[in-house]
Amino acid sequence: MAARLTLADVNLHFGGVTVLKDVGFTVEPGTVLGLVGPNGAGKTSLFNCISGHYRPSSGSIRIDDAEISQTRPAGMSRHGLARTFQHPALQLESTVLDNVLLGGHARLPGGPASWAVRLPPMVRSERELRAEALDRLEELGLGWAAHRSADELSHGLHKGVELCRALMARPQVLLLDEPAAGLSHGEVDSFIQTIHGLKAAGEITLVIVEHHMGVISALADRVVVLNHGSKLMEGTACQAQSDPRVIEAYLGKDSMDSNDSTDTRDGIGDDAA
Amino acid sequence: MGAQKTGLLRTPWFQLTLALVAVVLLVVAPLLLPIPVNQTLARIGVFAVAVLGLNVIMGYTGQVSLGQIFFLGLGAYVTAYGVENGWNIALVFLAAVVIPGVVGLIVALAAARLGGLAIAMVTIALPIIGVPLAKRLSDVTGGSQGISARFSSAPDWTGLANDQWQYYLVLAIGGISFLLVFNLVRGKYGRAFRIVKENEAVAGAMGISPYRYKVLAFTIASMVGGVSGFLYMVVVQYTSPETLAFHHSISLLAAMVVGGAGSIIGSLIGGIYYVLVPNFTNEVAPTLTSLIQGAILLLVLFILPGGIASLPRVLRRWTGRSSRSSPPASSPPEASAPSSDPSPSTPPNTSPSTSSTTPPSTASVKEDSP
Repeated sequence: MAARLTLADVNLHFGGVTVLKDVGFTVEPGTVLGLVGPNGAGKTSLFNCISGHYRPSSGSIRIDDAEISQTRPAGMSRHGLARTFQHPALQLESTVLDNVLLGGHARLPGGPASWAVRLPPMVRSERELRAEALDRLEELGLGWAAHRSADELSHGLHKGVELCRALMARPQVLLLDEPAAGLSHGEVDSFIQTIHGLKAAGEITLVIVEHHMGVISALADRVVVLNHGSKLMEGTACQAQSDPRVIEAYLGKDSMDSNDSTDTRDGIGDDAA
Repeated sequence: MGAQKTGLLRTPWFQLTLALVAVVLLVVAPLLLPIPVNQTLARIGVFAVAVLGLNVIMGYTGQVSLGQIFFLGLGAYVTAYGVENGWNIALVFLAAVVIPGVVGLIVALAAARLGGLAIAMVTIALPIIGVPLAKRLSDVTGGSQGISARFSSAPDWTGLANDQWQYYLVLAIGGISFLLVFNLVRGKYGRAFRIVKENEAVAGAMGISPYRYKVLAFTIASMVGGVSGFLYMVVVQYTSPETLAFHHSISLLAAMVVGGAGSIIGSLIGGIYYVLVPNFTNEVAPTLTSLIQGAILLLVLFILPGGIASLPRVLRRWTGRSSRSSPPASSPPEASAPSSDPSPSTPPNTSPSTSSTTPPSTASVKEDSP
């Protein structure tokens, strides 16, 4: 079941540098939140706070009622949280299937001793996970690559494999860090289809960091715009794209005067993608 | 053609037959071979297990450990002490596994917190402290003289000579160790170890605590080291502070790298390298042993950076390259990403036409992989 993600007054400091300042928003269960902002706005830092890779200096992050702001990354799977990374971090030497199986790690039972002697329940759970991973890959159109070594695939396909890996954890909340960066038009379209499929199933709450405004418009129910570590505005994708403060944050004050609004809108996507 | 050949090699029947033949050969061999050869084979088994342990922590989990020989030495001393004091041999074996395991666990709990080179520094300390300690604690260890323990003479009912019996002990215990580690590294734990080695941030995101898995891998490596120490006493029947000297750790490390880091077969090859290459270089030029060993190490690393165990994979790539280089037409789907709308039932990323012309097993490989 999808869960509610709530952030309240999240602050993050590195020494004297303030990276995030009083960021707060709520993502309702089963919805998609787009997190946008110019480079350096703090989007990935915020992701790292949610996923436990950074520990916020103050503030609260909750999944449903569970406070997770002090939880280590490895503890997040217990709360149903999974994420992808800006640069897909796959094990290039391993097969695509092995990469995807890794996502189901937390769901496999048993300690090292029971795996070393291959107790029947371990063998069975491994076999089931394998079948599920192959199904998932098939669903994402990557079935043909399952037994290929990951380094044989293109960047775009790596993104698909990484998404597949994250889904293997059966997350309730999924964080996608620039899932469409570096994808071809066709790949972006199929990515949007995939996320629509997930949304329709209604089992995952999604937060997407993305510069590609087409993706955000197509997928996000709500958009939060970050700038210099603070929340600039929150609303729909349309509101965000026409908000003068957002345009200014992306392009500066002068360009706002000299460009008409449609150009600017395209500029937001192109500039960052 | 190359693909067919590797296809045959990969069928389960062929592999099963091959494994059976190997087992039969290993079982029959000592009955036919002369004593020194059996002893050498048994020694290979001992050090293959030591390299196997090192592979768990270093080859699979990526943590530099320069202290593996300490755990072999500890296992050997525990075995000698237990035998001296008339313990049951099963208890001796258990102690030779558990005590190094506990020491390894304690060291790892502290060392795994430090990343990177720090863990290497801590593990260097083990043999460096171990040698003077073994000399000092002469009541237990026999001091610089060392300590011998004879418990591996062949029982009468077997009708075997000592060297054959010792060989079989090493084969059985070593074989089981290899099997257990092999099972461990090919499932849940192997995947976890590898991601800890490659990317700790991703490991965390998968619910894998890098710290806990490093401690686990180090503990397992220590226990396997203890097993190799027990086997060392089975074969050599004598241990002294020299057994756990630091330079042996480096040799083990070299053996692991030459055999193949992160490879089970590589551990066995590492054992062969560890035992045979010094013998061989002694025969060739007794004054130049280190030089020749260094040259062999460099040569292997230059030609096969993944160690000798990576030879089949490298060959497969080479043969695959040459046989696949002709048809670039059936490249993977993303090259011809669909510009038209994919129909709702079609899975994304693959247009149906390309996926059907791309059978998974023999499909061409994208040459310019990043």
